[in-house]
Amino acid sequence: MSQSAASSAPPAAGLIQPAIEVRRLHKSFGKLDVLKGVSLTVPEGEVVSVIGPSGSGKSTMARCICRREEINKGEIFLYGKRVDGSNHSNRDIARLVGMIFQQFNLFPHLSVMDNLTLSPINIRGLSKEEAVENAMGLLKRVGLEEKKDARPGELSGGQCQRVAIARALAMNPKIMLFDEPTSALDPELVGEVLDVIADLAGSGMTMMIITHEMVFAKEVSDRVVFMDEGNIMEQGSPAKIFSCPDAPRTRLFLQRMLAPLGKDFSGESGSEACGHES
Amino acid sequence: MNLDFSAITPYLHMLLTGAKVTLQASLLAVFFGSVFGTLVGAMRVSPIAPLRSVAAAYIYTIRGTPLLIQLFLIYFGLPSLGLNLPAFAAGIIGLSINSSGYVGEIVRGGIEAVPKGQWEASKVLGLSYIKTMRFIILPQAIRNMLPAIGNEFVTLIKESSLLSTLAITELTMVGQQVRSVTYASFETFIAVGIIYLVMTSSTSLLLQYVEKKWQVG
Ligand SMILES: Nc1ncnc2c1ncn2[C@@H]1O[C@H](COP(=O)(O)OP(=O)(O)O)[C@@H](O)[C@H]1O
Ligand SMILES: [Mg+2]
Repeated sequence: MSQSAASSAPPAAGLIQPAIEVRRLHKSFGKLDVLKGVSLTVPEGEVVSVIGPSGSGKSTMARCICRREEINKGEIFLYGKRVDGSNHSNRDIARLVGMIFQQFNLFPHLSVMDNLTLSPINIRGLSKEEAVENAMGLLKRVGLEEKKDARPGELSGGQCQRVAIARALAMNPKIMLFDEPTSALDPELVGEVLDVIADLAGSGMTMMIITHEMVFAKEVSDRVVFMDEGNIMEQGSPAKIFSCPDAPRTRLFLQRMLAPLGKDFSGESGSEACGHES
Repeated sequence: MNLDFSAITPYLHMLLTGAKVTLQASLLAVFFGSVFGTLVGAMRVSPIAPLRSVAAAYIYTIRGTPLLIQLFLIYFGLPSLGLNLPAFAAGIIGLSINSSGYVGEIVRGGIEAVPKGQWEASKVLGLSYIKTMRFIILPQAIRNMLPAIGNEFVTLIKESSLLSTLAITELTMVGQQVRSVTYASFETFIAVGIIYLVMTSSTSLLLQYVEKKWQVG
């Protein structure tokens, strides 16, 4: 394997592969260049937040990583295996990567339990009993075990998203991608979903979270990536990005996002972060 | 004008037997038409372009030609290829093929009405195209389609009167027989019309009931 993207060089044993490695990824829709050579490495267990203006290509990048989009140029590796070709089926990717959408996309004609067990039974090959047991554990984890027989239509948005997270986890993925998981929720329901995601982040799962929840991104992530117009403009620790970003674009974006909240992170960790981050 | 229904009352049971054949034919046709039409509709939205084209051409042709001609082709045309079908079989096949064209279009609409996110989530969960169709898309599409399929059944009850041209003793054919015996043309066909109306309206009511049940369940 080439070591070109060694920005986060794996520790000692060179065998440890990053969970996600994206190299010079290009993606266009017709004439519209959406991703213009994005490179990104996510080591196992890291929680990366992706922020940036809408239309900057965040969702497209996530969709390319879980192979929902064919890419035009570049390479994508998951745990060292190249997955951007046609030699990987939905199945293989599904066992590696879970994805959460803004719109939950639960199956409305199935009970919560069936939502959680359909794919494990059909794709992972679990027995019904195993799948149900596993699902009960996951429902407990997201605090919805009593909703196992409900239809998605009977749940609140926040509950739906928690079920969607449990459903993704039921495939036992190594990586979770979240695409604006709380953007479709009423404000009072955002917290319960963020709690579940934070709990997951604390458990060592490799995660990429596309979000507009700046406070949450700052608290939960190991690294923040700022995307703009199809490029990664800047990335670094939350302290660095939120306190003293290098790129004027990042600064402008954060000002716009944080102003309405009356938040200004720059005072918190102050010049210390600015001085020491590279 | 004097209407005298007493002339046809002795033949009422014959008309009812004919109505039974009409219902049987319509039921069989809506069943086979729905099965085949679902296939056609699934082809119509498949990711494989040639399948889409074949299905589109099929739907276009079926819906663009008269049922009567389709029936004649099967009953009178096929024997010249050495394929002789009994009238009832030919009639059911013709009606089913005709219905499949319409159902195909209904199925296409029903499938396309299922939100894109359902495909997205299925793919991300690793389900194949066939499994996504079977477990996720079709069950939802069928709910969208149920009212239209119901209408198709009602339409078939009426359209099946064309089976009389193949001398199948369904309601219209029996009506013609009763008329030729009693000469009470007006009375006979009023009675036939009423029987059709009873069949179509009770079917509609039944379907509305089923639909309501299904929406809740
Ligand atoms: N399937 C698609 N077809 C055409 N254009 C698309 C498609 N998906 C996304 N785009 C375009 O790509 C750009 C980036 O979209 P997206 O990745 O969704 O941005 P973000 O998630 O950062 O808001 C937008 O201009 C969007 O209109
Ligand atoms: Mg997006």
